Amino acid sequence: MSTLIALTSVSKRYGPRTVVDGVSFTVERGEVVGFLGPNGAGKTTTMRMIAGVAAATSGSVTVAGYDMATQNEDAARKIGYAPEYPPLYDALDVWSYLRFVAKAKGVPRAAIARELERAAGACRLEQVYRKEVFKLSKGFRQRLGLAQALLGGPEVLLLDEPTAGLDPGQIQETREVIRAYGEDHAVLLSTHLLPEVTLVCRRVAIIHHGRLLAIDSPEGLQRAFEQADCVALLVAAPAEGLRDALLAVEGVAGVRIEPLEAEPRLLRVECRVSARAGLEPAIARAVAARWQLHRLERQRPSLENVFLGYVGPEHGTGART
Amino acid sequence: MSGVLAILQKELLVYFRSPIAYFLLAAFLLGTGYFFTYNIFLTGDATMDETFQNMGILLVVMLPMVSMRMFSAEYGARTMELLAALPLGAWQIVLGKYLGAVAILVLLTAGTAINLVPLYLFGTPETTTIASGYIGFLLLGMACLAVGQLFSALTENQIVAALATVCVLLGLWFVGYLQTFQYSQELRALFRHLSFSLHYGNFVQGLVRSESVAYYLAVCAIALTVNAGYLQWRR
Repeated sequence: MSTLIALTSVSKRYGPRTVVDGVSFTVERGEVVGFLGPNGAGKTTTMRMIAGVAAATSGSVTVAGYDMATQNEDAARKIGYAPEYPPLYDALDVWSYLRFVAKAKGVPRAAIARELERAAGACRLEQVYRKEVFKLSKGFRQRLGLAQALLGGPEVLLLDEPTAGLDPGQIQETREVIRAYGEDHAVLLSTHLLPEVTLVCRRVAIIHHGRLLAIDSPEGLQRAFEQADCVALLVAAPAEGLRDALLAVEGVAGVRIEPLEAEPRLLRVECRVSARAGLEPAIARAVAARWQLHRLERQRPSLENVFLGYVGPEHGTGART
Repeated sequence: MSGVLAILQKELLVYFRSPIAYFLLAAFLLGTGYFFTYNIFLTGDATMDETFQNMGILLVVMLPMVSMRMFSAEYGARTMELLAALPLGAWQIVLGKYLGAVAILVLLTAGTAINLVPLYLFGTPETTTIASGYIGFLLLGMACLAVGQLFSALTENQIVAALATVCVLLGLWFVGYLQTFQYSQELRALFRHLSFSLHYGNFVQGLVRSESVAYYLAVCAIALTVNAGYLQWRR
């Protein structure tokens, strides 16, 4: 593996406002890295600095070995960038638009037709090839934005919310394109969709208030967040007595009880517990002594909980699942 | 150079797939045709002098409608993000766009050549004077486009870009008239040198003066350099 994106203490300031603050991370060839953060966290600004659209105020950004401050044009040949709002010319048709981008990227004349076919095919644009851009639906516009980024086979792909506005089928297809592309290229994927990160990304970077809070695999982040673990139970018991009994167990911090819809005599219970090992038997003993325990399992925290744990619950609305 | 050509082709495609270019061509040729007919019947001379003067002021007023969208529209549609991420230098973007606009100007100029047909059919005009007038017309247009393109890069609002350009171009057109109110020789010379209309007048009279050619080319060079520098600074 080789490092294709490297950020070292990168900051971006607009006047007195610091939008990105000392962010450092790398993306290797052959991995898709998810970029998570609430709105205004600094994701797009970071992406723009990597794409060469904005310059870093301090720190260094290198892409495929090129310094973005001094070798911007060389680096740009290695980058495919799909911004959040697809940068499209409404007056052009899909074919003319892609042809323009391919030419501007320096794709050899003889290879342009083949390259257009490949990118348009990957994004399922064949049926709208001759249609004017202004006539395209939101989904097609989004896919055209992705197709232009794929032109020229860039080593680094930067995708800002690439599945926004797509229907479930299109989302699945796009994720498959991204996953396949990430096998031998570097992909940085900014998204709000947490399942997307779990499904597509090898590592996840969480950014908030312009600072990088964590970067690890989804499993690694979940492990690091064990204190948010939960033990789930299925019990036939009265709610109040059960709550008191569970809270009496040392290590249980909170209890949520709700009746099971399919079987109202059963209660589904979620106990928030500390990460201390061996807590499950104590809970099982406390319940089984008085009631009928049907099931007990320790649940790993969801990525959503990990994300909210880092950025705070007030940003929960930004984390759609 | 391939980057410049890609931008140039894209610009022309965008112009001709929207009604702007057709509207401008039609309006300009209509205006020019009117002035030509009026002047010919008024003077009875087989000359383009008066028509060139009218075409000059028409150009100053109408070209901002071509230049206003050059960068402002890119900001508005967020396509500047794409241009900035492509492997193109600021100069390539500026030059590609500029050449696209100059191509429209050449088309406008070629369209006015229709007026020459009756002129040569029914009279004996001075070909050198007409050629000189056309050189001046193209140079004036190129300078107007460079200034307009700069203002388009400075604002995201196309209307603001057009109005600012018209103001500056009209200022440069009429600044020569201020010299008559000045006692200072330096100021008189300065106003004379800055005047779009006085330099243009030389061409219309059949004089291709190197000073006038250099002036228009200098305006183009300065405006385009500032334009490229501004794009670089925006990053």
